[in-house]
Amino acid sequence: MRENTPASFPDGERASPGTMLAIPQTREGAPARLVTMFGSLGANRELRVHYVFDVGDPDYGEIVLPADGPLGSIALQAPAAAWYERELHDQYGIEIVGHPDLRPLIFHDNWPDGVYPMVDPVDDVPWSKREYRFLQVQGEGIAEVAVGPVHAGIIEPGHFRFSVVGDTILHLELRHFYTHKGTEKLFEGRQVMNGPMLAESVSGDNCFAHAVCYCQAVENACGIDVPRRALAVRLIGLELERLVSHVSDVGGLCTDVGFGVAAAYAARLKESLLRESAQCCGARYWRGITVPGGLRFDLDSGKVAELGQGVARAYREFSEIARLILETPSIQNRFETAGILSREAAQDLAVVGPVARASGIDLDVRRDHPYGRYRDCSIEVPVTHYGDVMARARMRISEAAVSAQLIQETAKSLPDGGVLTPVAAQGDVQGFSAVESPRGELCYWMEARGGRLTRCHVKSPSFQNWPAMPFAVAGNIIADFPLINKSFNLSYSGCDR
Amino acid sequence: MIGDVIGQSLRQPDRLIPVEALLGNCDGSRMPDVVADRLTPAIAQRLIEVCPTAALGMEEYEGHRCLRLSYGQCIGCGQCVEFGEGAVGTAKHFTRCGVAKKQTVRVWDIDGRTEITPGAPRPEASRRQIHSLLQRALNIRQLDAGSCNGCEAEITALTNPYYDLERFGIHFVASPKHADMLLVTGPVTRNMADAVKATYDAVPAPKLVVAVGACGCSGGIFTGSHAIVGAVDAVVPVDGYVPGCPPTPAMLVTGILEVLRRRIAK
Repeated sequence: MRENTPASFPDGERASPGTMLAIPQTREGAPARLVTMFGSLGANRELRVHYVFDVGDPDYGEIVLPADGPLGSIALQAPAAAWYERELHDQYGIEIVGHPDLRPLIFHDNWPDGVYPMVDPVDDVPWSKREYRFLQVQGEGIAEVAVGPVHAGIIEPGHFRFSVVGDTILHLELRHFYTHKGTEKLFEGRQVMNGPMLAESVSGDNCFAHAVCYCQAVENACGIDVPRRALAVRLIGLELERLVSHVSDVGGLCTDVGFGVAAAYAARLKESLLRESAQCCGARYWRGITVPGGLRFDLDSGKVAELGQGVARAYREFSEIARLILETPSIQNRFETAGILSREAAQDLAVVGPVARASGIDLDVRRDHPYGRYRDCSIEVPVTHYGDVMARARMRISEAAVSAQLIQETAKSLPDGGVLTPVAAQGDVQGFSAVESPRGELCYWMEARGGRLTRCHVKSPSFQNWPAMPFAVAGNIIADFPLINKSFNLSYSGCDR
Repeated sequence: MIGDVIGQSLRQPDRLIPVEALLGNCDGSRMPDVVADRLTPAIAQRLIEVCPTAALGMEEYEGHRCLRLSYGQCIGCGQCVEFGEGAVGTAKHFTRCGVAKKQTVRVWDIDGRTEITPGAPRPEASRRQIHSLLQRALNIRQLDAGSCNGCEAEITALTNPYYDLERFGIHFVASPKHADMLLVTGPVTRNMADAVKATYDAVPAPKLVVAVGACGCSGGIFTGSHAIVGAVDAVVPVDGYVPGCPPTPAMLVTGILEVLRRRIAK
């Protein structure tokens, strides 16, 4: 059960204040992939910074540095750390030395300087007016196009600042965190058993992955063995969420190129899967099902088997639609070569999920750091290297096939037995867990004292992948931006938290 | 190729749900309902303790000890169903969508084991009445004030072939300047407060505002956060509330039509 708990590094790794972390290496001698970075407070409110790396082993590696003084930035060596360090500064006021861009990230103009919500009282934070400077691209014929935060459609808010020459995008600057809700702070003080409800509201369309990831972190912390039946149901929920998400994304891509017929089919299939879910577990998006220790209630085996059959039907139709999409010349014309994310950029920014796999990075938590029922499965991980919209569309279509297969196999042979092991989260506990959500690697790190959470960090795949978007859109025309954006399918709320 | 597309179209089954089957439907919403004759003071106390958003509370009402359920605060987590010893079940029918704020609250006399709130609105179910509500088209602008995107996913579903809102003459528009109604989701975050006000101002009068989801109605699970301003009505005036976390497409249809019905009845 503890395989996913980060292995602690030897004591010699503790660096002195102000010094910089030496990035660990994989066995092959390459720099390890940065998984996440976050701050926390020790028992005596001393500041700590946690770095989690993927060194190529099934266990993640965690390094904890004391942060009682300034901290050296690793953003130049590991660009993936750039946003994490800005977030650390905004949340904890930790001084980051040598960071190339320390503008406020999660708080906007209305937030006063010098108030750090994870360490300061935040009952009545005054409204302020501070300045935010966008990067200025200068030169003849360069214009700026500002889009958002309110977008033209049923979409989440965020701001995009394009610098363009004619139709061509030279540079895109993201300004997000409009949906920042202080979620990590809200976890503090909650009862451990009341954590899943908040985790489910981090990113609503991936609510089950978030809830399962949170629960696994608690289970790892407390050394709980989850009943096999609950693990099987969780696998079905996780794969169904991926299938729904990928069907919806492929439909969304069709909407963005005006292929309404296929978009309508995909919307119908997505709805059929949601309705089957409601029949099976009472919730369209699998909210309120999982709790630390297993499931809140058992599902009827017959209904789960019906769900499996529903998935088989929906997937058969989806593969027809997918063929229709991939063989339509006008779709090929729009999808191919649009929004290429190079392998180098993807690697530098430690991009995860289908976006990474479409750019040639072979990584999947289910296979590389198996958890729950995935320990007993062999997972096929499709990878391609073109990195364009077509590659990301194909990636989703291939992954949908794997998910449909996994659901059918598991639904046919649901283990018998109970679905809940009681959890007693007494004393000081810490746990870490990772899940392959539809958008990629999702991690929770939690710490509780006496049954109440003292810290819960959420590493969301969207936070990780958003900084890669500007690299994919540079050189494309502005009219292709919605398509490229959709092909990444990132959550604003998941990123902003 | 075009033959394939037409062939596929002809093979698609008709999935359209008649409006009568949508109104009041809440399948998959996890909204709770109190079974009044199972209520005891001890159970009521337990329910209040396990509710994570204070949707359930104890209240004095005309000298009676009462259990209050504010649907606008309920996130459907299922704790009350799990720990309620049969006194709380999952609602089979739910019509408190698109109603005024006070109508999203129900109150039960614990000792008398009876509900003392007036009944829920009854959405008119006949096609003719629905049609007369919407003689002209209704343009809706969805506005995310900071939601988790759960509500967005369900609002997007309104245009799929099962619900097909366009059949009522309801369209989702890209600009607030084209809109008659704002469908606002999420708690209003600090970072979105100005944009929410600006969007509201951009909608030409007369305008309708509907607060969608537990967060839009009350702040939901995010109540008390330093990064949010509050529910939608903390920032702009609201005409109707649609509870749920997230509300299902059927609840959204019920809510949108109820807001219109109330507007016309005024």
